[in-house]
Amino acid sequence: MRIINYIILSMLSMVTFSCTDVVDVDVPTAPPRLVVEASIDWEKGSLGNEQVILLSTSTPFFDNLSDTSVIGASVQITNTNSGETIVFTDQEDGTYTTSNFTPVLNNTYTLEINYLGEIYRAEETMTSVPDIDEISQSRESGFNDEALAVDLFFRDPPDEDNFYFFRFEAQGDLLPELLTFSDEFTNGNRLEVFFEKEDDEDNNIREFAPGDVAFIEFHGVSRQNFNYLEILIDQFESAANPFGTIPASLRGNCINISNPDNYAFGYFRLSQVVRTTYVFQ
Amino acid sequence: MNTIRLCYFILFVSLSFAQNKHTISGIITNAENGETIFGASVFLENTSTGTITNEYGFYSLTAKANTYNIIVSYIGFSTFTKTITLQNNNKLNIELKAASTELEEVVIVAEESERVNIKSPQMSVSKLKSETIKKIPVVLGEVDIIKSIQLLPGVTNTGEGSAGFNVRGGAADQNLVLLDEGIIYNTSHLFGFFSVFNADAIKDVKLYKGGIPAQFGGRVSSVLDVRQKDGNSKNFELNGGIGAISSRLSAEGPVFKDKGSFLIAGRASYAHLFLQAANQDNSASFYDLNLKTNYNINSKNKLYLSGYFGRDDFNFGANFFSAYGNASGSLRWNHIFNDKLFSNLSLVYSDYDYQLDFIAFDFDWLSEIINYNIKYDLSYFKSNKLKLNFGLNSIYYDFNPGEINPTSPASSINRLILDPKRALESGIYTSAEYKVSKKLTATFGLRFSNFNRLGGQPLFNYENNQPVVYNETLGVYEEGNVIGVTDFDTNETIERFNNLEPRLAMAYQFNDNTSVKAGYSRTAQYIHLLSNTISVTPLDVWAPSGKFIKPQLSDQYAIGYFRNFKAKTYSLEIEAYYKTVANRIDYVDGSDLIGQNTIETEILNGELRAYGLEFLFKKTKGDFTGWLAYTISRAEQRTPGGAAGGPGINNGDWYYAAHDRTHDISLTGSYQFNKKWNFGANIIYQTGRPVTFPDGQFVFEGINVPNFSSRNESRLTAYHRIDVSATYVPNKKPDNRWKGEWVFGIYNIYNRRNAASIAFGQNRETGANEATRTAIFGIVPSVSYNFKF
Repeated sequence: MRIINYIILSMLSMVTFSCTDVVDVDVPTAPPRLVVEASIDWEKGSLGNEQVILLSTSTPFFDNLSDTSVIGASVQITNTNSGETIVFTDQEDGTYTTSNFTPVLNNTYTLEINYLGEIYRAEETMTSVPDIDEISQSRESGFNDEALAVDLFFRDPPDEDNFYFFRFEAQGDLLPELLTFSDEFTNGNRLEVFFEKEDDEDNNIREFAPGDVAFIEFHGVSRQNFNYLEILIDQFESAANPFGTIPASLRGNCINISNPDNYAFGYFRLSQVVRTTYVFQ
Repeated sequence: MNTIRLCYFILFVSLSFAQNKHTISGIITNAENGETIFGASVFLENTSTGTITNEYGFYSLTAKANTYNIIVSYIGFSTFTKTITLQNNNKLNIELKAASTELEEVVIVAEESERVNIKSPQMSVSKLKSETIKKIPVVLGEVDIIKSIQLLPGVTNTGEGSAGFNVRGGAADQNLVLLDEGIIYNTSHLFGFFSVFNADAIKDVKLYKGGIPAQFGGRVSSVLDVRQKDGNSKNFELNGGIGAISSRLSAEGPVFKDKGSFLIAGRASYAHLFLQAANQDNSASFYDLNLKTNYNINSKNKLYLSGYFGRDDFNFGANFFSAYGNASGSLRWNHIFNDKLFSNLSLVYSDYDYQLDFIAFDFDWLSEIINYNIKYDLSYFKSNKLKLNFGLNSIYYDFNPGEINPTSPASSINRLILDPKRALESGIYTSAEYKVSKKLTATFGLRFSNFNRLGGQPLFNYENNQPVVYNETLGVYEEGNVIGVTDFDTNETIERFNNLEPRLAMAYQFNDNTSVKAGYSRTAQYIHLLSNTISVTPLDVWAPSGKFIKPQLSDQYAIGYFRNFKAKTYSLEIEAYYKTVANRIDYVDGSDLIGQNTIETEILNGELRAYGLEFLFKKTKGDFTGWLAYTISRAEQRTPGGAAGGPGINNGDWYYAAHDRTHDISLTGSYQFNKKWNFGANIIYQTGRPVTFPDGQFVFEGINVPNFSSRNESRLTAYHRIDVSATYVPNKKPDNRWKGEWVFGIYNIYNRRNAASIAFGQNRETGANEATRTAIFGIVPSVSYNFKF
């Protein structure tokens, strides 16, 4: 129900007399941590053998220039149900890859990373996702009645708690839009999710127009991953806003078993994903 | 019930002391409009016998049989003097005439009678008259009671445009806000830009920052007691105004063949005024309606009926509709038993609701709190030395924390009703103000409060009775394991709490103009506003204490020095306070409260402490009046893991409360230049409020994710501004009943961009991280026109 918070925020910005500007601010600096982006995405209908894990380090907030790639770590994933271990190859550019991964729904996997003599470990379960049964476009859906939106429809499985993660990207835009969704209020129903853009001259963002292309990913994720992503998105979008949630540390699932205080940022997830590309008519 | 016995005991003791003395009593009113006067000083010349009138204008003095001059004074009015002979019990109703000087309205006083100000043990209290508030420069010319009290020492907020106010380091939900005794749950219009009180309908405002009298209970930080005007009982009168934000109109006059009067006041904003996205069919508006009428049954009985109804509406094209508002109504019966015993019985209803209609998603949302309150208060003016207050009250609450309903068959949302909650809060109190000696006066108060969380809902049982557990591996707090459900019937009690709340105060008077005072008060709070956002939002719901949320308990110690000088032209008040609040809940990192049925899984039990030093220097007479307020203070919270395990919030360390301001200075002045022109100004400086800034970033899913660590460790830059106003009263012909005035104002005259917030994000065009400052009000000029007929 964080959507309600966003609506309050948009109400506030509507009623406001305010003006915004970019300012220089001194921020605190924490020592760098390992960042694990171990997103094992298994596209529905594919084998899912090819997988990439990204390792980097965190930086001070305003440091955009440093090369943060982590090289020289050893990375492996073990299927705890079958005992099979896959070792990822260090590509020496911050990526670690394999072509031998075997995804199995509801199996539990353990990620282990050895970096600078410390061992990081995470555990997750491969989570399924329903099919998108319809994809269409309209102007009526979404927040703005006049803007084009792409609408996705799927049926939420009844009798279980489901958690979803959407990643929308408009071709040509720099940043994706991320959305989490749980069936807490909608269990067992046919659901609609839309992706719409509002004109924003400051950031050179335009509404969708015919011919525009949208890349869509629809993931099934675990409850724990959902909780993590929800806070992450909240803090990315509305940090320090008066009606935003008080920001906090982002704790993922990658723990440091050698030195617990030196936990890693990021997350080890295993999700089945539906990928689709939509071209506006 | 020990308290009842104590109460009877005090009564009994006091009755048994009666001797050859007589009492004079009555009601003091304004000769011009018949409004009762609260806080007028009544005393017998050349004696130490004196008092001030109560909320209903009633006074009672007792002295030995003799001939006296009775003197009644109230700032802005001519002093009334009359020679009386006390041979038996007398009744004397007095009408005070407005002072002939044009300065009548330029009144800035925190306690009307300086004499009593020095003597009374009551400290930490500020009173503002409606006329005073109207002279203070405000944004867009919209007179605002909540903004005005923030100019007093010890009162802060969480930023411009935020709802509510914070008293002596307390949270916004720790203020009891009463409008003619009806509880107001949300004091803001438009999320906090304006307040719900229409100054045309308000007589006066009293804020207790500490030393809360025993008659009040239920909130731990303050009581804001707002009283509506009774309505002119002499003449029919119209008041109105046209401003930049809203227009107002009120009518008042005598009714019931001069046995009563009425007031009806309305205010409505213009709908599309401040919408940035004006190209869309959006609108935001508010309105409120105040009603009051009273009826004099006879000299001993008077009835008051008050009502308030306020609402905010938001429309976002055809997709969203949202509305919220308070409503309250009260029926009060003043009964004077005899010269010494005054009583008031109140029956009060109030509610607050919040609605959202997600037309685009085919569902709506409603949350609501309703309460019924019965209150019986008595004042017994025993003698010149002893005054007793005692009474009881009981509040029944219905909480509807939220219900979601699909609005069409096509809706993908399932109907969901969060468990409704019920509770009964009762209190019984007695307090005695006793003149121990000529120099020492003390008030002993005791309140016994009881909270009964009633059944009629299911409650989860958690493993090890832990609704929140710490996950050692991941270092996060998670929901506890549910091992069962207990259904409570409506006739069952889920949990019951009792508290004894002593309130002590004393004043030692060095001379007529100087005193020191000290006080201690304990207060209990049984209902809590659930909010994990920086500012209170209209969506935040109230929750009662129960199995998982304990009542907040506050202890406050205060000591003060009070002095009048230069023939009472100036006054100085210095107070120091130390306050602790136990059982202040806070929310685990990343908690989501909206639509949350099991709030207990998101909270940890913590504490709050606040301390500070307040200075208030006032000039109350002359062409120039005003005050300088300075507060140096600290407000902090700490939330250890406790039974849930783990380090707690912010590692269990103390962190600043969101409204903590180290330094807070405000200078407010009003200058009567001549009969036509009056000028006002504010100068305000505050330490920036505490905020949480990111201490690093990392790339994830293609975005730069900020990470935050120590809560409220950083601060916004200092907040300061200057406002000015000028009021112009055109020449009026003496026989012309129409009186108009123009009010010109400039808010934030040097257009400082005070940061209301700083947001950290990634620029969507360049990809660079940046800090974006939001400043709410830049320089804002305004003009409004007020009239009286």
